Parts: sequence; structure tokens; C-alpha cells
Amino acid sequence: MNRVNLLLVVIALVMVGVSSMLFTVDEREKVILFRFGEIVRADYEPGLHFKLPVMNTVRRFNGQIQTFDAKPVMYQTQELKNVVVDSFVKWRITDVKAFYIAMGSVNVNARLGQIVNDISRAEFGKRTVQDVVSGARGEIMDLMRVAANKVTSDFGIEVIDVRLKRVDLPPDASNSVYARMSAGRARVAKTFRAEGAEEAEKIRSEADKDRSILLAEAGQKADIIRGAGDAKAASVFADAYNANREFYSFYRSLEAYRKVLGSGDDLLVLKPEGEFFKYFGDGVAPE
Amino acid sequence: MAWNEPGNSGDKDPWGNRDGKGPPDLDEVMKNLQKKVSGIFGGDKKGETGGSSGGTGGASGGLLIGALLVALVIWGFTGVYRISEGQQGVVLRFGEFQSFSAPGLHWHIPTPIEWVEVVDLGQLRAVEIGYRENSRTGQVGQVPRESLMLTKDENIIDIKFAVQYRIGNAKDYLFNIRDPEGTLQQVSEAAIRQQVGRTVMDSILSKNREQVAVAVKKTTQELLDRYQSGLVVTSVNMQDAQPPEQVQAAFDDAVKAREDKQRLINEAEAYRNDVLPRASGEAARVLAEANAYEATLVANALGVASRFTALREVYEQAPEVTRERLYLETMETVLSANRKVMIEGDAGNNMLYLPLDRLIKESDNVNSINLAPSRISQPAMQGTESRTVSRGRESR
Repeated sequence: MNRVNLLLVVIALVMVGVSSMLFTVDEREKVILFRFGEIVRADYEPGLHFKLPVMNTVRRFNGQIQTFDAKPVMYQTQELKNVVVDSFVKWRITDVKAFYIAMGSVNVNARLGQIVNDISRAEFGKRTVQDVVSGARGEIMDLMRVAANKVTSDFGIEVIDVRLKRVDLPPDASNSVYARMSAGRARVAKTFRAEGAEEAEKIRSEADKDRSILLAEAGQKADIIRGAGDAKAASVFADAYNANREFYSFYRSLEAYRKVLGSGDDLLVLKPEGEFFKYFGDGVAPE
Repeated sequence: MAWNEPGNSGDKDPWGNRDGKGPPDLDEVMKNLQKKVSGIFGGDKKGETGGSSGGTGGASGGLLIGALLVALVIWGFTGVYRISEGQQGVVLRFGEFQSFSAPGLHWHIPTPIEWVEVVDLGQLRAVEIGYRENSRTGQVGQVPRESLMLTKDENIIDIKFAVQYRIGNAKDYLFNIRDPEGTLQQVSEAAIRQQVGRTVMDSILSKNREQVAVAVKKTTQELLDRYQSGLVVTSVNMQDAQPPEQVQAAFDDAVKAREDKQRLINEAEAYRNDVLPRASGEAARVLAEANAYEATLVANALGVASRFTALREVYEQAPEVTRERLYLETMETVLSANRKVMIEGDAGNNMLYLPLDRLIKESDNVNSINLAPSRISQPAMQGTESRTVSRGRESR
């Protein structure tokens, strides 16, 4: 029984001893080994490593790419317009020793925020809103990354990227943008309607013109036809009547009498003389 | 084949029971285990310890060794793991990357020496920007903070995107970056705003949606690669791109105005299509009437002329008689139709009073000539001829 207990104790002691002499480094970690607070080693590869119990302590840091998501900040552009900028920084510890010395006790995010803030303020102040939103966005981000790296390389940090996530106008400015957009659309709408009216008027007037021309031409043709008819009729008459002018005169006169006096509405005051009345008095033709 | 199957040769028995049948003696079991342990650990001190205890044949010591061994075996079995289809296992030894494992059944040296992290490579995931869809209810929530953005012409547009992605490299995904999904969200949002900031509003609203989505996908992937995030963007879909709520009415009106323009034009064309055929018809009518006039006139002329010609020919054969007949017939018609006043002799030279005005008036009011009250009692005397006759007689 004693031996068994002894064995258990030995095993336990061995395990405790071994485990206190070993430590693992994960792929995601950067580790510093201290000896009574002094940095001994900081370049561990992932895997199993030895240390001395009690004397050595280990401190672990995240070696992955981390994000610093800055709070939206208002900056002034060159034309003194305000823009609200929301950015984030991707960074990673490259030199864990330097990082520990410089920032081990300082808030990394606050430090990064400060750096980004300073650079942003300078860069935005040099540019217009148009630049910031559109053209120079990539350029600003590159500048910020380079500038940030200059500062942070001393801290053992590599800034992998500085991104402008949002570059927006403040809410009151947004409202005036909306007003401008509405006005712009109203202008477009007016233009469309006026163009419609213009086109329509053109089509209508063109149609009216075509109609007038059509009718006038028809009238002209009609007159020509009528004239031709008149001429033909006249020539027919002339041909017929020229054959015996004297008879025509007689015939036409009779016809005219008939027409003029044939209505029965006239009062004729006559002397019973002439050809018609030659037998009227005594029935003998006068000599 | 089962371990303790009857009839088996003893060497297949894991317990090394060389004595054959019957339950194995505990001591014997311990001895065998002891050998095995020393076989595994070689000159390890644990083996020495076990050896010393086994050598004495102490029952409790053997029991302990046995328990330890059982624990060891159980521990060993905890290293068995399974990788499903579409997944990949990443084996770490003391935190160091060791190997990948494909779908199937595998074994790793049990924790704390080795462990496995399983990554789902096959699964397509998505992040939503500008909206959040509740996967259970299907309701879509707006996130205007994300969806409203500035365009190149300093307008504000409301855009909703969905970015689909999967994990392309399990090692990068696990080790390189903290919170890869959150990073994807941030990066794609930045990429969208950058791209939209380079494009004017009308172009996004109308034709260039697809281009914007393609550019966003490209930028996002570039950044993810720069971070070695192990993520692959499979698609970027522009769910919705529209003017913000505040200006929606004005935009709608502009669209309506475009329709109005077309409507006005269509109406005018309808007018034209109505007027021109009618005018053609009217023109045709004018022409037809002219043709009718011509034809009528000529036909009449021919008729009249041929009538004259016919008569003339007869006249020329017997001029005297015909002439007289025509004359008399005409005079007959004319004189019989009208009222007449005959004056004999040289009455023209004498004073002759004729109440012409009364006679003429009488032609309108027939009875007045009779100088009698019959004008009232005989209101209407019809028939011109009889009147003429009676009056003729009277005047005679």
C-alpha cells in the first residue's frame, strides 16, 4: 500500500514537474519568455518549448492580424465642409519584444486611434469632399498606411492596412443633399414634360400643315378640272352655234323669252301688232 | 475478428492470456501489461516503477498499473475523430501546425499533445450589407447606417449588397487573422463605398450595377488576400440600388415625367393619324366633285348643242315654216302664262291710266283686283292660269 501511494505521488510530482518545465506556443501566438521579469527570448516558433520552473515566466500575445475599428470622427475638408469618417486599421505584432516594451502596458487601440486621427486630419484638410469620396480615397489610405507604419514600426507593430470604411456627410448636410437631389430630379422631370409638349406640338402642327397642303392641292386640281370642263363645254357650244349664227340668235332669243317671261308673274302691256297678232283684228293678214 | 472469439489462437488475445480458457488471473494480466508498458516506454522510469511493483507481485500495485493502462487506452481512443464531407481538419501538435486531414475517420495523438480544429470548407456563407435578413422569419431589416453612401457626384444612394464567400484555405483562416468574418464585413463595406464613390449616381441606378458589383468583388478579394485571411469571395450581389427614401418621390416623378413625355408624343401622333387620313378623304371628295362638275357640264353642253344642231338641220330644210312655228309656240307659251293688257290703236298717245301698282300688287294678293269685299270672304283663289284668263277678259 505504501508503495502504491509512493508511486502515485512520484507520478504526480513528475507530471507537475514536467508540465511546469514545458509550454506550448500556438500558431496564433507570439510568446515572450521572462526570467524574473527580464526578457530572455521572444522568437519562439509554434510548438513545445522548455522553461525553468519558477525562474521563467511566459507571456502570450496574439500574433494574428487584428482590427482596430475607430469610432466615426468628423473632419474638415479643404472647402471647410464636414465629413464623418469611419475607418479601421488592420495591424499585427511583428516584433513582440519591441511591442511589449513600448506598449505592454499601454492601450494599443488608443495609440492607433491617435495616429490615424492625426494623419486623417492632416490629409482631409488638404482635400475636397469630391477628392476624399472619389478620386483620392485609395491614395489617402496608402498615405495613411505608410505614415502609420513609420510610427508603429518602433512599437513592433506592422500596420497592414488603413481603410476608410465610410466617408459620409453629417446628417444636416445630408438633408441639403437630399434637397438638391430632389431639385435636380424636378428639373429633369420638367425637361421631360416640356420636351414631350414640344414634340407633340411639332407633330400636331406638322399634321395640320400636311392637311392644309393636301386640301389646297386638291382644290387647285379641282379648279383645273372645272376650268377644263368649262372650256370644253364652251367649245362644244361654239362649234354647234357657229354652224348657223342667224338661227342661233333666233332660237336663243325664243328660249330666253320663254325663260324670262315664262314664270307667270309678269304683266305684259301689249299692242296687238306684229307677227303674232297679224290675224288678231279681222282675221286677214295685213299687207 | 473479435478479440476473444473462441477457437482463436492465444496470440491474438490482447490480454496475452497464454493459459488458454477461463478468466485470466489478475496477476498474470498485470505481468503482461507490465511487459507491454515496458515495451512501449523502453527504459522509462514509469516502466521501471511498474517492473519493481510487478516483480514483487503486489496485488494493489498491479491494480494501479492496470488502471493506468486502461486509462491510457481510453485516452488513446479519444484521439479518434471524424471529418465530414466538405470539411477539413487541421492537426496541431503542441500548437504547431502538423497536417491537414481529409474527410473520413482519423486518429491523432490525443490532447494535450495533438488536437484538431475542423473547418467547413464547403459551406457558402454570406454577409449582408445595408440590411439584415432574419433567417427564421425572412423579414428584412434596414441598416441605413451601412446602406446610405455618397456617390461621385455627391449624391446619396441607398445600396444593399450581399457578399457570398467560403473558406478557401483552412490554415490561413484559422491562424492569420482574428475574426475573419468581421473583417470580411468591414472590407466589403469599404470596397463598396470606395467603388460607389468613384461612380456617378445615374450610372449606378441605370446600367452600371453589374460593373460596380464586379469591381467590389475584385477589391474585396484583393484585400482579403493581402490579409491572407483564407477567405474566397464567390459573389457580390447588388440586392438593391435606389435613391434614398427622402428623395424617392422626386425620382418617381422624374420617371413619370419620362412616361408623360412619351404619352404626349403618342397623343400627338394619334392626332396626326386621325387628321391626315381625313384630309386625304376630303381632298379626294373635292377632286371627285370637280370631276363630276366637269363631266356634267360637258354632257349638258353636248346635249344642248346636239339638240340645237338637230333643230338647225330641220330648220335649214324648211326655214320659213319652222321659224314661224317656233315663234308662235314660244309666244303662245309666254303670253298664255302672263297677264296682259292690250291697247288698240294709238292708245299710247292718249292718256291711259293703268293702275300698274295695283295690278302688280294683285299678283301677290289675287282678290284685291275685284274691288269687292270678297277679298275677305274668298281668301285663296288657286290656279294662276284661271286667274290670268279671267283677268285677261276683264281687262279686255
